[in-house]
Amino acid sequence: MAASVTRPALSSLCKINSNINGIYSLTSFSRRISISSVLSTSAVTTETEAAGRGVRGQRRSKRQAGEPRTERMTVDQDWTAVYPTAASFKPSAVPLPVRMGYPVKRGVPPAKKGNLELIKIPNFLHLTPVAIKKHCEALKQFCTEWPSALDSDEKCVKHFPIQVQSKEFVSAGLSLRNPDVRIVTLKVKLSSLNLDDHARKKMIKLSEERYCKDTDTLTITTDSCPLRQQNYDYAMYLLTVLYHESWKTEAWEQEKTRADMEEYEWEDSPSQKKVLDTLLRMRALGAKDEVEEGTREELLGQPAVQEYRDTMLRLKNEGETEENLQQYKEAVKKLFNI
Amino acid sequence: SRPPSHNIVPTSLILCATYHSEGHSGQYYTLPPTHIQKLFPYGLPPRFQLQIKTFNEGCVMVRPPALELISYLKRADYSKPPLRYVLYGDIGTGKTMSLCHALHYCYSQGWLIVHVPDAHLWVKNCKELLPSSSRPSRFDQPIQASQWLKNFKITNERFLSKLKTTQRYVWTKRESTEKGQPLGELIDQGVNRMKSSSDVVGAVLRELRLQAGGATEGEGAFKLAVAVDGVNALWGKTSLKKEDRTMCEPEELTLIHNLRKMMKNNWSGGAILTALSQTGSVFKPRSAYLPSELLGEEGFDNMEPFVPVSVSNYNEKEFESCYLYYLDRNWLQHPHSRSEEGKKELIFLSNKNPSILERLCAFL
Repeated sequence: MAASVTRPALSSLCKINSNINGIYSLTSFSRRISISSVLSTSAVTTETEAAGRGVRGQRRSKRQAGEPRTERMTVDQDWTAVYPTAASFKPSAVPLPVRMGYPVKRGVPPAKKGNLELIKIPNFLHLTPVAIKKHCEALKQFCTEWPSALDSDEKCVKHFPIQVQSKEFVSAGLSLRNPDVRIVTLKVKLSSLNLDDHARKKMIKLSEERYCKDTDTLTITTDSCPLRQQNYDYAMYLLTVLYHESWKTEAWEQEKTRADMEEYEWEDSPSQKKVLDTLLRMRALGAKDEVEEGTREELLGQPAVQEYRDTMLRLKNEGETEENLQQYKEAVKKLFNI
Repeated sequence: SRPPSHNIVPTSLILCATYHSEGHSGQYYTLPPTHIQKLFPYGLPPRFQLQIKTFNEGCVMVRPPALELISYLKRADYSKPPLRYVLYGDIGTGKTMSLCHALHYCYSQGWLIVHVPDAHLWVKNCKELLPSSSRPSRFDQPIQASQWLKNFKITNERFLSKLKTTQRYVWTKRESTEKGQPLGELIDQGVNRMKSSSDVVGAVLRELRLQAGGATEGEGAFKLAVAVDGVNALWGKTSLKKEDRTMCEPEELTLIHNLRKMMKNNWSGGAILTALSQTGSVFKPRSAYLPSELLGEEGFDNMEPFVPVSVSNYNEKEFESCYLYYLDRNWLQHPHSRSEEGKKELIFLSNKNPSILERLCAFL
């Protein structure tokens, strides 16, 4: 009781002593009051009562809080009326028994009443499905119909292979502009472009990390120009240039080595040469020097060699796994007739 | 003399590794002590050597990978170029032991054995690295080379007097080995003169390659078994530094260079048995165990076409057999280990991995 009286007393003293740098006087006054509260109350009651009465006379008493709104909420009420916009968490307006925070020792997380943790975090109580439906209904009058011919994803991709994404920002501040609005992302699947084998490989090599192998999409992000329109034009220009360049074959492309190849090729690989050598040696141990074209083709055409070739390609291109190795083993065994 | 419940093959089948078949899978067979001394002066895994000393006998479990290898060796045609077999598997699954088992088969058949117990020892921790006497760009490892020649001599005593050199080798201005000298002399030259021992190793390997498939009958006929453990060391990196502090490449070491030539299949009349090993390898991650991971691209291209043989952890029967063997030798002293629960604990802790099981049981 003494504590509840001191606060208004202190606040009134703040107003009275506003001219004085009253920190020291206030603390001394509060210390005096606390000391006085420790002392026997009887001697001090008259003093505090007098102080309280005086304060109450000067200032209206604080209203008692009524019952919380949650008591009067029905189950089928309109929630969009409670939280029409984004607002902080109001424990008296949310009827859920939510608990949040680090639990008291051997206890539970604190309740929602007066819980700062719940107020600090962002909540989406204003975006319930019902609220979203209402937003959509309100926005429908500004929209046009979705074309009825585009009723599946495949048709959308087929007719509109290029996807252009950009962001809009709405903010109320000193300036309405947001520099991130100029960024434009262009996504296109390479399968929808007219590319032959050489052009496709060259395009992938040119685009480096902008190409994703798993989804076969080329993503071009442009943000070098100040306006969105300019960035969009630049992105389209880049796509055009990439396409046309990958169709051209330069003179220096003839020097492509095995190390540059994207995939492992069996023809002219050291593996093929070794197999040939071994087979020739197995055939006629004396005639190691003759490699006629006929025998070479004949040897390579054997089914065992073809199977070996398949397993090698699988090993090298797909990576090594136990099954691949088992298949390789079978192929080698067949090749050498074990 | 032992009761059959311990799954140990009766003693009459000790020497006959030829008769091991699928039915014997999971059973133990004993390596005769004379064979161990001759064939494996340094070939067996160190922990197994300790086990031999403790139990006073060397018992090897007959397992499918080794049986597979032996069956290939039986069926192969030795007039054709040698087939390369690569044992691969996770750490501690028994690759070296399987290799030794197959090698013992070859030895008991009377083959000539070229065994490199651990090729990793040749690419790291070499105290002396001399510039080669014969070629300026290469480096010699005299200690490792002479050690290997000594072991080779012990293993292949009976061949040393029969085989003759096919050309003249000049070591220094005053020393040379003439044509037609027995191989034993060549080896003595290498053991006595440490400086030229690496080149002697190269010469020995060359001689063996030339003569392996040569004569089909008579005195000179022999089959050559080349066994290399840790073959991925040949194409990996070394941890040796040259005098100007740059890293040494494997090709620059004479021993490695000669061993690589041995791995090619341009000779005939033998087989090449190899096992990959991550444990001693230099700069390889612990989880790598597949052939292309450990051999690298260069190694894979050099080794292929090869027959990969997979070695895995014990299955139920093999684990049972190993457990009973340890019980039989009174190795598991802890009373709890003899119970069913104890056995289940061992299965859980070791995941039936042979080396982990062996280490665990050593504590009990």
